[in-house]
Amino acid sequence: MSDPQARNMLTLDAIRTCLEGVIPATIATVAPDGTPNVSQLSQVHYVDPGHIALSYQFFNKTRSNILDCRDALLEVIDPSTGAQYRLRLDYLRTETDGPLFESMKAKLSGIASHVGMAEVFRLRGADLFRVTEIEAVPGGRPLPARMRPRSLLSAVRRACEGLRGCADLSDLLDRAIVALRDLFGVEHALILLPDAASGRLFTVAALGYEASGEAGGRGSGIGWEVAPGDGVIGVAARERVPIRITHMTTDVAYSMAMRQGTTAGPLREIPFPGLERPHSQLAVPILAHEAGDGCGKLAGVLAGVLFVESAQEMRFTYDDEDALATLAAQLGALMRSLPMVPVPTTEAEAEDTPAETTAPPAGGQPITVRHYATDDSVFLDHDYLIKGVAGAILWKLVRDHTTLGRTDFTNRELRLAPDIPLPDFAENLEARLILLQRRLDDRRGPLRIEKTGRGRFRLLVQTPLRLEEMQ
Amino acid sequence: MTEPDGLQLGTGVGAAVLRFPDRSLSVNVAGSDRANRPLVARAVAARASCGGDRLTVLLDGRANAELVAAVADTGRLAVVFSEPSTHRSLQVKGDGAVVAAPTVEEVALIGPYLDGFIAELTGIGFTEPFIRAVMTCDPADLVALHVRPAAVFDQTPGPKAGEAVQA
Repeated sequence: MSDPQARNMLTLDAIRTCLEGVIPATIATVAPDGTPNVSQLSQVHYVDPGHIALSYQFFNKTRSNILDCRDALLEVIDPSTGAQYRLRLDYLRTETDGPLFESMKAKLSGIASHVGMAEVFRLRGADLFRVTEIEAVPGGRPLPARMRPRSLLSAVRRACEGLRGCADLSDLLDRAIVALRDLFGVEHALILLPDAASGRLFTVAALGYEASGEAGGRGSGIGWEVAPGDGVIGVAARERVPIRITHMTTDVAYSMAMRQGTTAGPLREIPFPGLERPHSQLAVPILAHEAGDGCGKLAGVLAGVLFVESAQEMRFTYDDEDALATLAAQLGALMRSLPMVPVPTTEAEAEDTPAETTAPPAGGQPITVRHYATDDSVFLDHDYLIKGVAGAILWKLVRDHTTLGRTDFTNRELRLAPDIPLPDFAENLEARLILLQRRLDDRRGPLRIEKTGRGRFRLLVQTPLRLEEMQ
Repeated sequence: MTEPDGLQLGTGVGAAVLRFPDRSLSVNVAGSDRANRPLVARAVAARASCGGDRLTVLLDGRANAELVAAVADTGRLAVVFSEPSTHRSLQVKGDGAVVAAPTVEEVALIGPYLDGFIAELTGIGFTEPFIRAVMTCDPADLVALHVRPAAVFDQTPGPKAGEAVQA
């Protein structure tokens, strides 16, 4: 190293792009008898400014040497400039579960499918190393660094500013989607909220899936469901950690898991098709934190998952992950502070039942609304619409509408309704109403819901309803 | 599970060594100094000669001065050949490695080797300027490392990685 100033600039963060897995790294280790060993690595995982982790898949000489001697030297290449760096490593420990392990496992799965070795690659552990020294190799002739299309830091700042002053959860979700599209250049995104009772996640906001269309039966993305632990979204939710895959093909297990049908039957669920051919995916948990004890160790409550994907490889980098994790943190804080349980602010709202309004006579061809009591699934003219809490809500609304002629309702009466199996999580109601409203909008049918004020909404019915209750 | 010691000379190492470096593969080397610290470097060309009894790798001596000094001192050398498109890899180990100035003939290997490497890597999406950025080396800085292979290991990713290559 000839330039001490340049050496001072050489931090792990400064060369993080070398750890994206585009070009294999080379690792040198030494056996106790001094015999060197050299091997190539597909995955070097950035952990924090002082640590990296390597995937432990097989017990080989590299691993044996590391366990014996702890010392390793890693050579990496910047995938845009070709600049080369050497990192001296000190082995600390191996983790076999937890966030680091899960994050590496998901990424490895993507790499494995990329090289056609999905069967061969299985993560046994994440070997954690301290980076003790970084040296720029004074060889080669590096290219100028590529121009970046946007400043992610600026995008985060403006996105956070754009989320200020949201009226409610629905408004917050919409603004977050707009920020992803306009500030981060994201083409396909979903925001999912957890069902507190089942642990499943359902999408309440979507970007860029309209093209998949109702023709394919896939919808706009609203109402898609993910089981806990399934795919990058399910793992991100379970482990409370961002999961990012930079190379993937349709046969990757994580993707397939998401595409599978689910346990409750073939017609009662809206599956999770996602993109036909995703090559990059990133799922970031949205956590809502309680006030801590000052130790910073409290795990947050899962409030949702932010998911982006792309048909382009390497679309989401470490920097994108950090940026979206920051945005997700802001979303988590705002979701917590939003008036999820609207406090009655007017006299009308304070009453359990609003002033009853008579529905205008709806004309035209009647539509059949069929309700299955076993899982509260609701079908409109034989087409599945929704199930669970949101299904129970819709069933109550249409029954009150047909028997009492009501069109105006309050969140409060729904919370108190004995026939709506609402868990003790108040925010669930608003999330379910958003889901219901957006599914009805997707359908572009004769049934809609519109918000009429804080904690109030109206059922819009354009054709006569014929209700069928199935046991 | 421990790793086998690898094949000894005379049971196929020569043939395996001969087979691999005649193509333009990715070549990386490791050495160790007297304190048993590992050192690593990227080579720019390699060739086997004497029926596989001698392996020569060429590298940028200025960029890899520490490794070159360690090899000169301890004679320990490991060389891994990898085919980027398939990840097939082979590691050759030997001791008694020596450092020498490259011959004119050895310097002449660099150009064709790089051309072959470019052909290999552009096939999997890398650009020629990028490959040249990584591999460019001033001929005046070239150093040759010669080693007599003592053992060869299959290093293709998978459960068999690390196994000795059979004749």
